[in-house]
Amino acid sequence: MKGVLLSGGTGSRLRPITHTGPKQLVPVANKPVLEYAIEDLKEAGVTEIGVVLGHKGREEIQELLGDGSKYGVDITYIVQGNPLGLAHAAGCARDFVGDDDFVMYLGDNILKQGISELVESFQQGDYGAGIALQEVDNPTQFGIANVDDDGNVTELIEKPDDPPTNLALIGIYVFSNAVFDVIERLEPSWRGELEITDAIQTLLEDGNAINSHVVRGWWKDTGKPEDILEANRLVLEDKDLAREGRIDPGATVQGRVELHETATIEAGATVRGPVSIAENSVIESGTYVGPYTSIGPNSTLEGVHLENSVVIGDSTISTTGKIVDSLLGRGANVGRADELLPEGRRLVVGENSQLKL
Amino acid sequence: MRIITHTCPQCGTIVSANELESSRVMKCPGLSCESVLRFDDLSDEEQEFFVNHREQYRL
Ligand SMILES: [Zn+2]
Repeated sequence: MKGVLLSGGTGSRLRPITHTGPKQLVPVANKPVLEYAIEDLKEAGVTEIGVVLGHKGREEIQELLGDGSKYGVDITYIVQGNPLGLAHAAGCARDFVGDDDFVMYLGDNILKQGISELVESFQQGDYGAGIALQEVDNPTQFGIANVDDDGNVTELIEKPDDPPTNLALIGIYVFSNAVFDVIERLEPSWRGELEITDAIQTLLEDGNAINSHVVRGWWKDTGKPEDILEANRLVLEDKDLAREGRIDPGATVQGRVELHETATIEAGATVRGPVSIAENSVIESGTYVGPYTSIGPNSTLEGVHLENSVVIGDSTISTTGKIVDSLLGRGANVGRADELLPEGRRLVVGENSQLKL
Repeated sequence: MRIITHTCPQCGTIVSANELESSRVMKCPGLSCESVLRFDDLSDEEQEFFVNHREQYRL
C-alpha cells in the first residue's frame, strides 16, 4: 500500500495567509497541517508516500518534508503543475504507485481518528476503492454516498437536492490499481477537471465493489480561516500538552498548556488552556491568553487579551484591545494606538486581508 | 484522459507532461537536484500525443 498526498491548490480561500506559502503548511496547534497527514499515513503502515505538488509552495513543502526520513517515511515528489483535478493528480502518481494499491489523502484535511480503520476495511475485501465518509448536517452541500447494509457504496451524488443519506465523502480514499485505467478513460468535467468522483463512479459501473468507512471522530477541511481555528480548537482539545518552558513565579497558568522549553510565561501574565506556545515566544506581564489559542515561534505578547486564535509566528502583539477568533500570518504585528493622535486605528493591511474593527 | 509523466533520472521526482511542455526546458523541481528536464525527454509517441491533445491539459 502506497500513499499519495495531495499538496497542490491555490489556497485562495485562505488569503492573505497563502500569498506567501501553501495552505498545507498553515500550522494547527503549532504543526503544519500536512504533517498530520504524514503521521496518519505512517500510523496506517503506509511509508512510501508520493507528495503531489501544484504550482504553489513546491520549495517550501520540499524543505519541510525533505526525503521523509525525519518522519520515518520515504517521500517521492510528483509535480502535477496545472490543477487538472484530483483524478489527474492520482494519474500523475501512476509510475510511483506501480502495481500497488494506494491511499489518496488531501493534504489540507485533518481528522481525529486517523486512517488505519479505512485502510484495514479496504484490505479485508476485494474492492476497487474505499472511501471515507462522515455524517453531515447539510448533505446538499457535499458529495454524498448511498451505501447498502454491508457498507458497499451503491451510488455517488454530487450536492444532491434530495440526499438519500447524510454520508459525505471526505478527502481520503483508498484505490486499487484498477483506478488508473479508469482515469485514462475519463473526460474532463464541465469545469475542465478530471473528477475523482467520476473515477469512483466508473469503478462502480465497471462492477467493482466500493467499500466505505464512516469516520466517527471529527474531520476538518482546513480551506478557510474559520476552519483553521476550528481544527486548532479540536486538536488542542485532544493533544497531550506538556509544559517544558519557563513559568515565572507570579504567572497564572491554568489548564492544559503546551509550553516549548525555550518559551516563557512571565510574572503577571495569565494563560488559560488549552493553549500551545512555540519556541522562543514570550508572554509578558498583563497579557491574557485564553483557551484554544496557538502562538507560533518567536512571538512576543505584551499586554494583549488573546483567545481562540492562531498566531503563526514572528509576531509582536502589544495592543490593549481584545483579539478573539483571529488568524495572524507570519510576521504580522499588532501594536497599540492608545496614546496616538489623532485618535484612531493605524493599519497596513495586505491584499485580501479581512478585519473586523 | 491519458496522463503522461517523466521521472527525473537523477532524483526520482516525477513531472507531468503539461509541466514539461509549459517550459520545454526546466531545472528539475526536485529541491537540490541540478538535472535539466526537457519535453524532448518524453518518447516521440508521447510528445506527439501530448501536442495533439494539448488543449485538455490546459485550464
Ligand atoms: Zn531531479
